[in-house]
Amino acid sequence: MASQATKDKHRVTAILVSHNGAIWLPEVVAALTSQTRQIDLITAVDTGSQDASTKLLKSARIPFVVADVETGFGQAVSIAIDKLPESVEHEWLWLIHDDCAPAPTALAELLAAIDDRPQVVMVGPKLLGWHDRTHLLEAGVSIAGNGARWTGLEPLEYDQGQHDGDHDVLAVSTAGVLIRRDVFEELGGLDPNLTLFRDDVDFGWRARAAGHSVIVATGAVAFHAQASATERRVVEVDGAFLHRPLLLDRRNAAYVLLANSSWWILPWLIIQLLGSAIARAIGFLLAKLPGYASDEILAIGALIIRPGSIITARKVRKKQRFVSPRVIAEFIPPRWSQLRLATEGMVEKLRRQLFPDNQQTSSASVLDSNEDEDLLTPISTNHWLGIFRKPEVIGFVLITLISILNSRNRFGALVGGALPISPAGATDLWRTYFESWHQVGMGSTTAVPTWVAVTATASIFVLGKVQFLITAFFLLAPIVMMFTVSRLLKRLTSNSWISLPAAFLYAVSPVAIAAISTGHIATVLFMILAPLVALMLQDIEKIEEYTWRKIAGVSLILALLYGFSLMIFVIGFVAAVISSLSDYEKHAQVANSQLYALRLQKRTVLLFLPFLMNIPYSLEAVANPSRMLVEPGLLISGGGPIWALIGNPGGANALPIWLVSPILLVLILSLFSSTHARRIAEYGVGALVLAVVLSSLSISTHGNEASSKVWAGPVIVLVTLSAIAAGTVLLDRLRETLVLSHVHYRHILAALLLFTTFSYSVLAVGWSVSKGANSLVQANKETVMPAFLSVEKDTKILVLREVGSSDKKKIQYYLSRGRDISLGEPDVAPPQTVAIADAARGLIDGSGVSSSATLSEFGIKYVYVKSPFKREIIRSIDGLGGFSRTSATSLGVVWRVTAPASRLMFIGVDGVRKELQAGEVGARVFIPSPGTLILTETYNRSWQVLENGYRLERSKNEQGLPIFTVTEAGEISLIHDGTGRRGWLSLQLIFLVVVLVMALPAGRRKSQISDKELA
Amino acid sequence: MNFSRPIRFIAFIAVSIIVGAALNVVVSKRSFSENYPAVICPPTLPGLASQISLSSKKTEFQRLQDRTTQTEAVKVLRLPVNKDSLLFSTEGSTPVAWQSRSGSWAGGAICSGPASSQWFVGASADITTKGRLIIVNSGLSEAVVDVNVFTENGKQPLKTISIVSKNYLVIPVDSLAPGDKTLTINVLPRSGRVNSFLIDEQGKGLRTLGGDLVNPISAPNRTLIIPAIPNQKKKPGQSATPPHVLRILTPGDVDTAITAELISADGVFIPVGLNSRSISAGLVTEFSFSPKITSAVFAIKITSTEPVVAAVESSVAVGGGRDFVWSTPAPELTELTMAVTGLTPLVTFTGAKINVAIDLTLVNGKLVRKAVKGSDITTWRVPEGARSFTITKVDAQTYAGALVSSVNGYGYFPIAPGSVLTRVEIPDSNIRILNP
Repeated sequence: MASQATKDKHRVTAILVSHNGAIWLPEVVAALTSQTRQIDLITAVDTGSQDASTKLLKSARIPFVVADVETGFGQAVSIAIDKLPESVEHEWLWLIHDDCAPAPTALAELLAAIDDRPQVVMVGPKLLGWHDRTHLLEAGVSIAGNGARWTGLEPLEYDQGQHDGDHDVLAVSTAGVLIRRDVFEELGGLDPNLTLFRDDVDFGWRARAAGHSVIVATGAVAFHAQASATERRVVEVDGAFLHRPLLLDRRNAAYVLLANSSWWILPWLIIQLLGSAIARAIGFLLAKLPGYASDEILAIGALIIRPGSIITARKVRKKQRFVSPRVIAEFIPPRWSQLRLATEGMVEKLRRQLFPDNQQTSSASVLDSNEDEDLLTPISTNHWLGIFRKPEVIGFVLITLISILNSRNRFGALVGGALPISPAGATDLWRTYFESWHQVGMGSTTAVPTWVAVTATASIFVLGKVQFLITAFFLLAPIVMMFTVSRLLKRLTSNSWISLPAAFLYAVSPVAIAAISTGHIATVLFMILAPLVALMLQDIEKIEEYTWRKIAGVSLILALLYGFSLMIFVIGFVAAVISSLSDYEKHAQVANSQLYALRLQKRTVLLFLPFLMNIPYSLEAVANPSRMLVEPGLLISGGGPIWALIGNPGGANALPIWLVSPILLVLILSLFSSTHARRIAEYGVGALVLAVVLSSLSISTHGNEASSKVWAGPVIVLVTLSAIAAGTVLLDRLRETLVLSHVHYRHILAALLLFTTFSYSVLAVGWSVSKGANSLVQANKETVMPAFLSVEKDTKILVLREVGSSDKKKIQYYLSRGRDISLGEPDVAPPQTVAIADAARGLIDGSGVSSSATLSEFGIKYVYVKSPFKREIIRSIDGLGGFSRTSATSLGVVWRVTAPASRLMFIGVDGVRKELQAGEVGARVFIPSPGTLILTETYNRSWQVLENGYRLERSKNEQGLPIFTVTEAGEISLIHDGTGRRGWLSLQLIFLVVVLVMALPAGRRKSQISDKELA
Repeated sequence: MNFSRPIRFIAFIAVSIIVGAALNVVVSKRSFSENYPAVICPPTLPGLASQISLSSKKTEFQRLQDRTTQTEAVKVLRLPVNKDSLLFSTEGSTPVAWQSRSGSWAGGAICSGPASSQWFVGASADITTKGRLIIVNSGLSEAVVDVNVFTENGKQPLKTISIVSKNYLVIPVDSLAPGDKTLTINVLPRSGRVNSFLIDEQGKGLRTLGGDLVNPISAPNRTLIIPAIPNQKKKPGQSATPPHVLRILTPGDVDTAITAELISADGVFIPVGLNSRSISAGLVTEFSFSPKITSAVFAIKITSTEPVVAAVESSVAVGGGRDFVWSTPAPELTELTMAVTGLTPLVTFTGAKINVAIDLTLVNGKLVRKAVKGSDITTWRVPEGARSFTITKVDAQTYAGALVSSVNGYGYFPIAPGSVLTRVEIPDSNIRILNP
């Protein structure tokens, strides 16, 4: 190769570094030899290639040196330079990777760019993709504060010359970079600590700190395969622990930042690096790439363990530095642009998931235009009023109006029915969820169901306003459930005039009306999600074809539903048992053990995985099966089997029984259909049978001692959904049949069905907006407990109240802690203590001479009778000893128990009972003498009292309350040890994260991504 | 088309209904606690004599001021009371207290359970009165009682009185509305287990004018029946019989018009001046009337446009002196047992159709059945040697009162249960009550 120095003043020595690059090397060599401005000298270094790289170099007659396999890129360049003749003026080193092919004009363009720029010591080409040569890889490179390699480009950005021009940059890639040899040698070449990756940024930074310029000349183009970064070849350089390119990249990124940045910025940098490493590691874990996740952490760990290399590097840079390292500040990407790019990327990903690009969509072409068309002809457009003729618009406007009218008494903080008062903020719900001890009744350690945490999380979207969330939920529920079911129904019919009215019917179904007006959150949520679950499980009969990822995804939804009501688990359990028996029957006919075992396995996982995600609540429910049949909040009785049979859960605020919905009729008619409606109806009938059986059961739980009929709302949701879906299929096909046939029984049945449906819709809507609006759930109801009883913190009060209609009045009682119950508390409410029950009975029938003594022993300070109440009983309580009336207002009558009563009592050696001050759960109080400490809360092993660092001996007294033996005077600490609860919650979190990770789409290692995708 | 599969599914529904019906047991486990509240009899004030008629010697009793809750059997059928108010656990039988001042007056009152409100129509607070209002707190806690007094001058300032547990208070009537002549007293317990009694005793100087125990009315009503009013005929040598006095009050804020219908064996009529008489609200009004009838006893039915309380004061001659009787309204007659040992009351039934079945228990334990039938008004004298009578059957809209004559005077008490069976449903524990 003849020198070109005569044509321009520069001398160019190309250094090609190869390592197992035989795939790309032929094209790279060809590119070098076909340069329009010929290279003055070319040399190569091969770092222990195992493939045909050296043969190729030999055949291309490129002189090369063989180096050790662990030799880094910078070190290989240094080896090559050592073999070169002495440096001359204007000598440039052109560093070439074995996977980087410069365009023929690349060198010429690079030299042209530096001709008039003597300050430039490093110039690089525009890097384009190897496979897709329109894909812009880099036009200069920088580093973000968190160590990310920053190119300022969008992923897979198409090169349209939008970044063309010669720009100052922080650095350019070493692939195809032209570096002035004297400066390169003066700065010590590429940092030997950076064997691969980020050596380019580091050198650029050092060059700039030494007062030089670095530019990208986009006229020069090179095509880069990025073989090491994209894991097309094994990284074997020194320091590449386990040959992991990402680990090396992340380690080197941190090294570059820590070695080059100003000292005062280092703490902030370390935090940023650590934070981003953790965040990225979590991201990789979620994407099921634990290797990459560990790379992130190990990379930072490696530097922290060995800070010596950083210290040495900083010393070297200090010597070479002529200007402040902040000179590169203008090239560091601002945080907002990183954020913007990340957000755009995420939005784009989401968009692709939700709305995949329609490949067949063709844009209007000018070629399609009809040139004969008279341009003056007015364009025919639909009148805007036409939008109101669409069934979607009519349906949703109607349901919105109905919902608003129906909710007119429910604008505000909702309470009543099954729904207790919502706390003002989400923090209260979190506290309820996490705490191990609940101050409800005599206290409880019952596990809080998951729905409390879900509600608290959901309230984040409304700034933690739980009350607003609940109100909005009940207001919008009919609209959302109509939307979700319409998505399902559109799969069954293309006729919107059938699917939309059917969806409307679903939203005004008896179960929807009853659930909303009685505050059954789980049923309402299930009504919203059931159509989506049905869509996800539409091919459940081929469960063996489900991927584990799909099972995990469905499990997440089911876990959410289980978290609100384990009745969904009961439904699933019954369905799984029936399906498994059916499989067993089929197996007897056609033996295929492997298939049926797989089906059973997947079915079991689908059923029990969500169950495990709801521990400890779900496990406790196994011990108390009645909890499997309840919803969040207070226990509201259902109507019984007859009501369930007509698709109405019954009970208070349900549609009257005479307002029969067409659900049963549709299901029975569909059973005789020859269409798909029959199969759907069979599912519906199965659910109906379960609903009838369940609703005939009676349970007592959630702080309600009396038996109540099971509210079978969730099962009836399935019945309703099946009936609506079956009816939709039936009508869709029936219409065609009816049009084509003579009048016969089908016409009559269709007319009967339509008439029943229409009559029901009109009557149900009328009822719900009139009488139904006066529902149990109302906004801003007056509280039960008067404010003055809340003044003393955590005082136990026995509340007596007459409930029920005038002809069926009943006296009920419960222990209050000075306030009304709030969301989540009924779910953990303990059953009543027998002694307190006897005392309460004694108050009411006048026989309770010892009631006050009993109440005192249990720390109950007041008895509150809520008005209106029987005067005779009030007088009866007056007549009993041990109570003194403290107030009698229009709200009710309050008596104080005259004997000492508090949460923490102390009996000294003199036998005198004394009240001690106690906080809500724990307490710190001085004990004057040895004696016995009585905690008037339910006995639990987690109650501990510490004195002088020692635990006091705990036992139970005859009332079943925890007592502690105090041996000496001193300050004691009362605590409830929540380790167990925390352990269970951790386990739940682990299950949740594992299933979440399983459900998320798996990320791919770069080595698994095709060349085409990588470009 | 193969119908077997659909029919099988329909059969499933049918089976589920059967299973559901079988499981659908009655869940309303309603259990009740039933008892008769203990009744309280009036204490015996100084100078008075008192006996309580009981239906069984095994009746448990307790002195009001005993601090224990222990009771003991009376062991007699007629218990003389020296001082204390007594509590009886009579299990449904109503004892009658008979009090008298020797040679002056006598009166009867039924012992009853605690009351939520008691109206006493009777007594005066002028210089002739020696009446006393007795308020008994039989509860174990302090009682607070409002005493509202109405007179011919209107409503008097409210008096709120507290009574310590298991004690009673005696309030001279003349201190309630000094100088006023016609009183109606409402005792309204705010708290406590309270009963009250009113003794109306009149005297002018050293001369006694008689007295009576005034029985209470539980609440004002638009229709009141006073079933037994004595109507003594003038005997030779006696001075003219004073007229009967109807005392009436409408305690509300609206004036009322009343009509009093006299029911006697001589017929049913409205006495002159008692038809549609206007009554001012809040003012105690009296009407005198002297019916020209031959019957020794008659009843009065008062109808009013507003709720009223009323009683009739009748003057009677006993021995050589005079006594007066306050006949008060009686509630509709129901099945009950009344202890009358030592008394031979004249029981007067009134009603459009009277059909009462009575089981009479004699002191010797024998049981005698008796049927009283008639219309408008019928009387039945309880024979001597009776310890109690039980109304076993009675037609609706029948009312009864009893008149008792003794050597010391004349008395009246309504035939009404002193304590009714209290049926309290045993309460459930339900956290729902802490939700609005």
